[in-house]
Amino acid sequence: MNPAVHLDGITKRFPGVVANDDVDLEIERGSVHALLGENGAGKTTLMNVLYGLYRPTEGTVVVDGEPRSFASPRDAIDAGIGMIHQHFMLVDPMTVWENVVLGNEPRTWGGLRVDEAAAREAVVELSERYGFDVDPDARIADVSVGVQQRVEILKALYRGADVLIMDEPTAVLTPQEVEELYDVFEELTDQGKTIIFISHKLGEALSAADEITVLRDGVKVGTVASADVTREELAEMMVGREVLMEPATTPREPGERVLEVTDLHVDDDRGVEAVSGITFELRGGEVFGIAGVDGNGQSQLAEAITGMREPASGSVDYLGEPMAGVSRRGHIDRGMAFVPEDRHERGLVMSYDLVQNGILGSQHDPPFASGGRIDWEASTEHAESVIEAYDVRPPNPDADAEDFSGGNQQKFIVGREFERDPDLVVATHPTRGVDIGSTEFLHDRLLELRAEGKAVLLISSKLDEVQGLSDRLAVIHEGEFSGVVDPATVTEEEIGLLMAGESLADETVSGAAIHDALDDGLGGSGADGADDVEAGSDRETAADGEVDA
Amino acid sequence: MSGGDGGRLPSPVRRVIEPFVDRTVAERVLISIAAILLSIGVGFAIVLVSGRIAQCSTAAWTMPVTGLGFCYDPIEVYVVLFNGALGYPFAVGEPGIFNAAWTPFNLSFGLTLSETTLLIFTGLSVAVAFRAGLFNIGTQGQLVVGALATALTVLAIAPLLPAGPIAGVVVVAVGTLAGAVGGGLWGAIPGALKAYADANEVITTIMLNFVAANVAYVLVLEVFRAEGSSVVATRYVPEHAQFRPWLFPNSSDFALLALLVAVGFIGGLYYVVEHTPFGYDLRTSGVQAAAAEYGGVNAKLTTVRAMTLSGALGGVGGAVWVLMSEGRWIESVPDLGFDGITVSILAGNNPLGVLPAAFLFGLLKGGALEIGFRTDVPTELVGVLRGLIILFVAMPEFFRMAGRYAGLGSDGPGGPKTSGTGSEDGESEASGDAAGSGSDAAAVGGGEADA
Repeated sequence: MNPAVHLDGITKRFPGVVANDDVDLEIERGSVHALLGENGAGKTTLMNVLYGLYRPTEGTVVVDGEPRSFASPRDAIDAGIGMIHQHFMLVDPMTVWENVVLGNEPRTWGGLRVDEAAAREAVVELSERYGFDVDPDARIADVSVGVQQRVEILKALYRGADVLIMDEPTAVLTPQEVEELYDVFEELTDQGKTIIFISHKLGEALSAADEITVLRDGVKVGTVASADVTREELAEMMVGREVLMEPATTPREPGERVLEVTDLHVDDDRGVEAVSGITFELRGGEVFGIAGVDGNGQSQLAEAITGMREPASGSVDYLGEPMAGVSRRGHIDRGMAFVPEDRHERGLVMSYDLVQNGILGSQHDPPFASGGRIDWEASTEHAESVIEAYDVRPPNPDADAEDFSGGNQQKFIVGREFERDPDLVVATHPTRGVDIGSTEFLHDRLLELRAEGKAVLLISSKLDEVQGLSDRLAVIHEGEFSGVVDPATVTEEEIGLLMAGESLADETVSGAAIHDALDDGLGGSGADGADDVEAGSDRETAADGEVDA
Repeated sequence: MSGGDGGRLPSPVRRVIEPFVDRTVAERVLISIAAILLSIGVGFAIVLVSGRIAQCSTAAWTMPVTGLGFCYDPIEVYVVLFNGALGYPFAVGEPGIFNAAWTPFNLSFGLTLSETTLLIFTGLSVAVAFRAGLFNIGTQGQLVVGALATALTVLAIAPLLPAGPIAGVVVVAVGTLAGAVGGGLWGAIPGALKAYADANEVITTIMLNFVAANVAYVLVLEVFRAEGSSVVATRYVPEHAQFRPWLFPNSSDFALLALLVAVGFIGGLYYVVEHTPFGYDLRTSGVQAAAAEYGGVNAKLTTVRAMTLSGALGGVGGAVWVLMSEGRWIESVPDLGFDGITVSILAGNNPLGVLPAAFLFGLLKGGALEIGFRTDVPTELVGVLRGLIILFVAMPEFFRMAGRYAGLGSDGPGGPKTSGTGSEDGESEASGDAAGSGSDAAAVGGGEADA
């Protein structure tokens, strides 16, 4: 029997870049295949070739034994290939079923009218066939990200896809939702569908895929069965050298109290309370981690601490000084570094080159500002040193920020902030989108800061990251700490429960309660009505994030 | 598809606007030149058509081959427009390419440069506000207020000093400063309203234009009107307290010194915007307000400062208008402030670009006067031709700015975002492609919906 997809010697060149170099790939029907590699390894490019977004420079795409030449995704869809992008293409105010049929609606009245009943029926039928737990009449804006993803899958299936390509499908999901996604994979492959997913997370490839193909610098390193390979072997294939999987944490020596947050309440942009009474303190030489599902008040907490947002009530004391009424400038001047969560909106000015971005926040301070002018030489040197130390690629300080890949943008921001010589680093999602090799480096730098006696507030949705680096770990849910735990002894299941807003003492937790809580946490209404999700059991693989660092 | 502002534009509009957003400077200059040629082509046709419709005894131009006669000569119109604006450096109706009798210090060229000088100030005024992300429509009002402040200040202090060159320098400097202060304060009002009351500066500056014009009118009418004057105007400031038109004829209302001052302002403003911490704050606020806030920029203060600076530049424009062109404040203030908006757009809001943009405007103004003297072409038609040139040249830049506002182009602020994933994991492969694949994907989404 023919493989579902056979990519034969695919080479894709862009001006100055070879994104894929003679890549062969065979994918068996009914299997789950992971495409693993670091940022810029060429994974997405390869899949865009398969999906008809790019034409290969050389090589052939063979679908079901038949050589194909796709001029556009429309052709690929006709050949039974569907792609689910990392950012969903859904219309928020429309319902689930409307989104699924959009563009391919069944018609009546000679094509003048959408046959709504038939459309809805078709979506319900599809959803039931694959065991998707989706309310067809819920509005997209009201359902969780996990459900939105299932709607995207339904869209592809509705268009007759046999091969589903998913780009970083777990990037936006909670651990529980990741588990549910794996169940969806199983259901789909049982019914003969083939799944290819792009990932840079080892654990996810190991637990969800049957076979794993590793790409590095556009070249295929190899294809292995997930049963026959270890994490260490995979990591080495990806990075090309041995990777230390555990950061070398030394015993902590807490120093002076750097930050004291007392009963802090913070509102979000709409005036709704996002942080509801958080109290903690942070000493020099200590990493305090905050884990939680995105959107539970982490952003507002970080912004209130770093002077970007006025707290509604409560206090933040920094180095023994109350920070109420101190400007953002004042926070920077007092030695507070901040890695913001949104690098495109805040962390970088996208149309500026790295020289100008390197002085963002220091534009009034020596050595960059002297005698009322900006010293571009000193600024260029600074940008170059950050680029070199943090391995920002390409190493060109004159290139605009928008021309760098997400991972390299992130490395530059983290480098700029870490090199401020701060007393406190507030880092939100510092390694988001950063590949495994660089993540390892950033983690090492973070621990170096800690060893130098700096205080680090680490906010991340990557459980292994906060757990591996923190001396103390708090879990945030709906603006409150649902628990502060010892990261050395807590299990991922326990953190998962805390993230859902449960307390650890309560042993009789129902799956439905967790699911609803997660939906609430994401701002949805739980419209999918998960009544029998077995979230309480068998979750050892949940959230085995990118690097076990 | 839902998402960012750019996503809300219908896709044909996106396709038209998007290519203009990411042009390099060289490409933009080329586009501008092509636009001028194209506008001349269109204007040519319009002159021909009007020339067919109009009645005249003898044809000014006969079309080769066909022998059709036209009342207006389209070639002459454009020759006079550009040649005349410079005072005829190129020979007309005589042998040779150059006109031997030509000197740069002629009346027509003086009028052209006079207009250029004034538009440099108002263009800079609009540009600096725009760089801070503020749309200052109020340069006109700031100019009116600045002009009045200058006239009154000079009238007050000039008699205190003995007439002479030294007193002239002092009085002109103080008068210009008064214009800057007056315009700056008038500009600070909408700045403060924007910063502290969240009032849209487009609305407030437009309204303040009316306030400025009418308050100044009433003040001069009731208090400062020159005795026996038939128009609403102040007394003339003393001759020694004006920018003197050395070299150029008196009636050109042009002073080389004022142009040099204007060019100095261009250099100064460029330096401030590009090479000072204040300029960095200002630019960053303009391109990405959230990043500026993150970088410790006080948004409110920057808004007030930028509007004050913008207003001060408009005010200096008013001062030069009084001290160079009119010699007094007079009710019929030309629309220099509004033309400054177009000059700034033409210049891509870059201070250095204001010089050629203002010069193009000056040429068109001076040339239009010449066409009126030399040909039968009605002034209204000349206005149409000017408008065409400006429209064609400004449109690409306007698209570019509008596109940036709507968040189009390569991954700029407010760039394409898609439905509620909320999180931005952005593992983007091989830089550059990322943006490409993103917009491709968006196009696919659109395609599906259209089908």
